[in-house]
Amino acid sequence: MSEAVFISDVPVEPWVLPSRGVVGMACLICAEAAIFIIFVVAYIYYIGKSISGPTPHDVLELPVLTTICLLSSSFTVHLAVVNLERSKRALCSLWLAGTVLLGAIFLAGTAMEWNDLIYRHGLTIRTNLFGTTFYSLVGLHASHVVIGLLMLSLALIFSLNGSMTHMHAAKLNVLSLYWHFVDAVWVVVFLVVYVLGR
Amino acid sequence: MATQTPEIEILNQSTPTEPRHPWLEVLHGWVTTVDHKKIGLMYIGYALLFLVIAGVEALLMRVQLAIPNNTFVSPQVFNRLFTMHGTTMVFFVGMPILFGFGNYLIPLMIGARDMAFPRLNAFSFWISAFGGLLLYFSFLGGDGLYGAGNAPDVGWFAYAPLTSRVFSPGHSTDYWTLAVLLSGVGSVGTALNIIATAICMRCPGMKMSRLPLLVWLYIVTSGLALIIVSPLTAAQIMLMLDRYAGAHFFDTQAGGSAVLWMHFFWIFGHPEVYVLVLPAFAFANEIIPVFSRKAIFGYPAMVAASVGIGFISLSVWAHHMFTVGLGAGANTFFTLATMVIAVPTGIKIFNWLATLWGGRIHFTVAMMFAVGFLFQFLIAGLTGIMLSVSPLDWQLSGSYFVVAHFHYVLVGAILFMIFSAFYYWYPKMSGRMLSEKIGKWHFWLFLIGFHLTFDFMHVPGILGMPRRVYTYEADRGWMIWNVIVSSGAIFQTIGTLLFVYNMIRAYFKGPIAGADPWDAWTLEWATSSPPPDYNFETIPTIRSRRPLWDLKHPEDPDSNYEF
Amino acid sequence: MHDDHLKLPSPTAWPMVMALGITLIFAGMVTNIALAILGTVLGVAGAVGWFFQVLPHEAHEEVVVRAAAVPVSSPRAVSGKVDVGVRKIIPVETFQITSGVKGGIAGGIAMTVPAAIFSLLRYHSIWYAMNLLAAGGFLSWAGASNAFLSEFHLQGLLAALVIHGTTSLLVGLLYGAMLPMFPKFPILTAGLVAPLLFTGILYSAIGVVSPILNQRIEWFWFFISQIAFGLVCGFVVNLQVKVRTPQFRALPFSVRAGLHGDTPPDFKQ
Repeated sequence: MSEAVFISDVPVEPWVLPSRGVVGMACLICAEAAIFIIFVVAYIYYIGKSISGPTPHDVLELPVLTTICLLSSSFTVHLAVVNLERSKRALCSLWLAGTVLLGAIFLAGTAMEWNDLIYRHGLTIRTNLFGTTFYSLVGLHASHVVIGLLMLSLALIFSLNGSMTHMHAAKLNVLSLYWHFVDAVWVVVFLVVYVLGR
Repeated sequence: MATQTPEIEILNQSTPTEPRHPWLEVLHGWVTTVDHKKIGLMYIGYALLFLVIAGVEALLMRVQLAIPNNTFVSPQVFNRLFTMHGTTMVFFVGMPILFGFGNYLIPLMIGARDMAFPRLNAFSFWISAFGGLLLYFSFLGGDGLYGAGNAPDVGWFAYAPLTSRVFSPGHSTDYWTLAVLLSGVGSVGTALNIIATAICMRCPGMKMSRLPLLVWLYIVTSGLALIIVSPLTAAQIMLMLDRYAGAHFFDTQAGGSAVLWMHFFWIFGHPEVYVLVLPAFAFANEIIPVFSRKAIFGYPAMVAASVGIGFISLSVWAHHMFTVGLGAGANTFFTLATMVIAVPTGIKIFNWLATLWGGRIHFTVAMMFAVGFLFQFLIAGLTGIMLSVSPLDWQLSGSYFVVAHFHYVLVGAILFMIFSAFYYWYPKMSGRMLSEKIGKWHFWLFLIGFHLTFDFMHVPGILGMPRRVYTYEADRGWMIWNVIVSSGAIFQTIGTLLFVYNMIRAYFKGPIAGADPWDAWTLEWATSSPPPDYNFETIPTIRSRRPLWDLKHPEDPDSNYEF
Repeated sequence: MHDDHLKLPSPTAWPMVMALGITLIFAGMVTNIALAILGTVLGVAGAVGWFFQVLPHEAHEEVVVRAAAVPVSSPRAVSGKVDVGVRKIIPVETFQITSGVKGGIAGGIAMTVPAAIFSLLRYHSIWYAMNLLAAGGFLSWAGASNAFLSEFHLQGLLAALVIHGTTSLLVGLLYGAMLPMFPKFPILTAGLVAPLLFTGILYSAIGVVSPILNQRIEWFWFFISQIAFGLVCGFVVNLQVKVRTPQFRALPFSVRAGLHGDTPPDFKQ
């Protein structure tokens, strides 16, 4: 009875709403961005405030190769999404594998850098303010890369065994938004830590 | 929209399971639920539980402070009491109860069947709830200074360097950090969920310009929560790194800065007040029009003012830190920014008054609490403007004047609106009406108690009584004020007990409410009380901001007047 | 169109298990490592279980529709008290909030005239009041001499513009929000209320905002400027066309056409 009134003589117009996955991911990205902003502010605030060595200038080297790898993985993941939307699942798997590989190279690069810093230069999170802020900021980013890589690897597995179809393109797209965000954060971290901070 | 045949088989398969004990069945139903109404009720119930606990803590403190040189509790216990009271009230009462109402009401108001992410919703609730349990487990498990069980005692804003390993050995401070971290994860999850729901789950015809104002304000408050809870999470991670990994973020010995913690905390801490008060505004936006029998005045101005408050509140945090010595430039900026907030807030108050003006006002208990809110929120705002002037703040910061000011906001505005919301939506949630008679006793007792406590609390503050002291000398002239303040707590306690009794009594033998006891206008009143699992049999299609007015007055619908 | 089954997300305990797992990991940090290990196991189990709830297809359960449709009607309209259910028509006409802003801008401009006269009369320089205002923004100007303040400074002009402009805009905005409360006599209310607001805000704030201004302010001239602000603001608002609120259209045609006097019958309830 009431429904009759609800529906009565309303013209049937298309009622289109935004995708909840995209909106949710955008919100998550806002929240994550706020976390990174606080860590970046702490890093900038403590530049040059360490009361003992080593300083960034002594020990940091520009991670050019790994940066290129991480940034180019944004393109590969985008291509994966596009191919999944067009139901080209083999190509999608290929690009996903490329993304995972590039991300893994980035992580390996970070691991080697940290290894070098800890064992050759004796810089740990306890050493000085530079160590504290460097490991926490870069580590926070690296942990996001790890989470992204885990999700992308899952997607790759499901893509390879054929259970991911073009029906899931929207979900892969949401995941790719997260990956783009992780890359964008790296640009900021790179500029702050390796360019401004040195 | 479901096709009929195949699902019936699935349904038939699931029914002949072995019947379990009815209690187990009920428990299983609540633990596994992803229904926004049940989760909302669990949020509200668990917030009420913590409200009682934190209220008891407040009572203990008032007993201790009632007379000079009292030895009712020891200084150590007093420190734990105010730390736990503040932390609990903000993170495990304020946020959950508001998220609870949001969870319950938003899908109903926008004509949806559930939240955008129902499982995330359950996750967020459970992680906040477990966070609260972890916090209170510290009473048993947190070995503190003397090795015994020990709750956190560093104050709810936990200033560095008191929180460092040197000054807070043991794990009591870690309990605080971890519990707040957990609650932060839950808050971000729910805030995200509310925004996604309000944007992506609206029923046909529910344009953003037709959203009920409550939903609009929840969008603003959730957006604010997303942006500000994360800095707190970040600061807590830094504190954990300091305490566990030996980092130096807030370690002044190694060049770290204690003031940085203050900045990070208050970047969260001040907007947090707005996260709490905006839902209170949201309730007022729904309740005042219904009991004035008029549409809300100035809908676009209300939305704009709310968004404005959200933005401005991000730029005022350092008014908590005037005594640090920020320098004249920063003091001027934060003083002015703080005062500017009075403009959008003023717009809201004038719009509520304009809504009341000329209306046929029905003084139900819900409306009485709402009118109390208007009056008290104005006073709280005025003492806020006093405190925003930095020289006055230098004088009063850290005194009971500040305590009185923010309790005026938290109790006089937010808690009053929460009570109002209970009286207004309890019939929808339970299907039964609360007793108006007991409700009026509750209102007047609580009102008297509130004013006794918090009006007179300003005075010892001006006379120089500092916060967080566990006792004071008799010759300071503070005693009479503290007696009055503590006696007000008795009235508030009785009022609250009446409220609890009212809810329990109404659940069993209150009059049946029916779908729409208040003759209201938003969609939640278009379904039965309590609503079925699926909310609406058919997703409604609406054509104005007051869909139920349109239905009730087909000869004069709102949709004729809106653009 | 609707049958008697609806799809809802199916209940699941996995989110709760995952939350418990994460909490136990945290609890392990303050109690015993064994708890953290248990927490990790539960957390991973919860994540996996949750994953299969959502992918590849979201789990749904069928719910039987029980309730009959809820009739929606207004008890007040039915109960015989006819007037209560009728649309409340207040206010029928009002000023837009932007009229307050416009008034604020105009008033802000008008306010400069008495300020300039004051500067000319007392210090023989048109720039004195402006620099005095701007001094709040520059710490180095705190102890500036009268001679210094009488000269023209570009940064002084810019700072004064920003300070004066923002304040005028905000006062105008607040005034615009108040207007619906007294829409009848904007010149009177603006001439009275706006100066009161302006003076009140400044008087309370000035000591901290600009100590230099506080020392040298001439309250007589200040008040003259306030009145100038208020009168011009009210005048400008009065020029603005009153907009009819959407409720105006609810009036009977005869009232809308002006045949029936200006007070609608419902107005006096």
